[in-house]
Amino acid sequence: MTRRRSRFSDDLAGLVLLAALVVFVLGPLLGVLIWAFAEVWRPPAVLPTSWGFKYWGMLLSRADIQKALPVSLSISSIVTLLSAIICWPAAYAFARIEFPGRRWLLLSFIAVNAFPRFPLYVSIAVVFLSLGLIGTYTAVVLVQLVFTLLFMIWIPSAAFRGIDPRMEEAARDVGASHLTVLLRITLPQAAPALGAALLLTFVNTFYDVDGALLVGIPDIQTLPIIMLSLITGQVIVQYGAVLSVLLWVPSLVLLVFARRLFEGRAFAAGFGA
Amino acid sequence: MDVTVGTVVSSGGRARAARRRATTFGLALVAPAFCLMVLLVLLPMLRSLLGTIFPEGSAGPTTSGYSKFFADPRSVQNLVYTIEVTGTTLAILLGIGLVLSLYLRFSQSRFTGAIQIIALFPLFVPGIIISFALIRFIGPTGNVATFLRLIGITQYQTPYLHPSGAMLGLIWENIPLTVMLLSAGLAQVSNSSIEAARDVGSGWARILVRIILPQLTRSIIVVVGLNFLGVFGSFTVPYILGPAAPQMMSIFMQNTFSELQEAGTSEVQAAVTFFVCLIAGLIYTIAVFRDAAGSGTAR
Repeated sequence: MTRRRSRFSDDLAGLVLLAALVVFVLGPLLGVLIWAFAEVWRPPAVLPTSWGFKYWGMLLSRADIQKALPVSLSISSIVTLLSAIICWPAAYAFARIEFPGRRWLLLSFIAVNAFPRFPLYVSIAVVFLSLGLIGTYTAVVLVQLVFTLLFMIWIPSAAFRGIDPRMEEAARDVGASHLTVLLRITLPQAAPALGAALLLTFVNTFYDVDGALLVGIPDIQTLPIIMLSLITGQVIVQYGAVLSVLLWVPSLVLLVFARRLFEGRAFAAGFGA
Repeated sequence: MDVTVGTVVSSGGRARAARRRATTFGLALVAPAFCLMVLLVLLPMLRSLLGTIFPEGSAGPTTSGYSKFFADPRSVQNLVYTIEVTGTTLAILLGIGLVLSLYLRFSQSRFTGAIQIIALFPLFVPGIIISFALIRFIGPTGNVATFLRLIGITQYQTPYLHPSGAMLGLIWENIPLTVMLLSAGLAQVSNSSIEAARDVGSGWARILVRIILPQLTRSIIVVVGLNFLGVFGSFTVPYILGPAAPQMMSIFMQNTFSELQEAGTSEVQAAVTFFVCLIAGLIYTIAVFRDAAGSGTAR
């Protein structure tokens, strides 16, 4: 009897928590989704009085949006690629090679977490100002690289460590060179995690506002920066709503392909949990 | 196999050479990432800290930049406001995070899966989108106001452009990390210790305070440290949802750097922020380091 009652209160508590989360977490997003397809929606009305795609066409034909999309995509791609070139060798070394200072070097990367983001960007921006880099591609790429370091080392490193070294040894025993082993055994095994790291880095970079705003403006306008000006300008609600839905696409891809990354313990471990 | 002294020595030499090769190779692979970190994190930060004490053109060390900061009521007000927002947000986040992660760990209800998915969902929504969404949700003409009007409440005080608006957004953004880290800590609390306590008649509150929370200390330290740094250094969410004055330090810095074009002043503001965050950063780093040295989790 008490067991059944505690089962009931367990379910009831769950339902209350779930309802609160749905309203607080999903409620605002649902509102934006409706706004994106609303042609006429005057506030006291519960739902739009007229629906359609009118504002999609209007937003997509804006010159600033058309200019910002390739800027955003190219900067994010370059940052992701550079980050992989710089970080993956380090990730491999941390996972497979014993060398003095290995632990301290790895922990020094974790310690980057211990710096507040924006003040660090300001410090970098002051250096860039003296170098004349403010408002350039280079500045935005370099600033955005900073906070990709951790995950691009952490996630691949965990993946490399997860591969049984005996497989690599066996291949080497039958005469495969180090390069062959790397290309035929190690990289294919680590591929899912490497892909997830690439995707996570690309998406995080794509959404960066802080760095791009500080060192990029006025000449480099990424999509999130346009979004910021649309929000603070408060011109037409639907513009912000449509752009929100469009901007969300990379996150949706991340959600679909890399969700498992966040559910495992590895992601929390990256923060030292 | 004839083992002679000569081969023993040479194989020892070979092992040493191999080790030296591994060391060189390992360091060479790590070097680019490490250089980047030194160039983009360590040096700019040190330059800022030193540059504010030894400004260009001054003969010796001076604290004039800092005394100017603390003599300016607006600067101090912004600093105090940032600390207040961070403290309040942290307390609420920790409360929400504990309730959710405890429920997820110990409940057997059918709702845990859905709760976990929705609690992690903000990971997949960038700050710029949720800030816009919250304007439409909690704003003076937003969905909440519309709903309240439906049930007859017309005196709705919107949190938008108030400190509470910024806090709501920051809480929204940081729920996933909080729940994830606390859940990771709770996963290590053994069921048997709890059952043992229950067998001797301990109630839930007692079990929570005496058995669960002590084992969760490290996770709580990591959560508080990370969230402190995240919220204290946040820009987008309070920029869009918070008041125009007082400002969070990040917004203040951005204003000073980009609009007023006073790089030196913004650097002092950044340095002050560094110092405040240094405490949280140190606590976080020590918590992580100590554990890494002990159990080797953060390998």
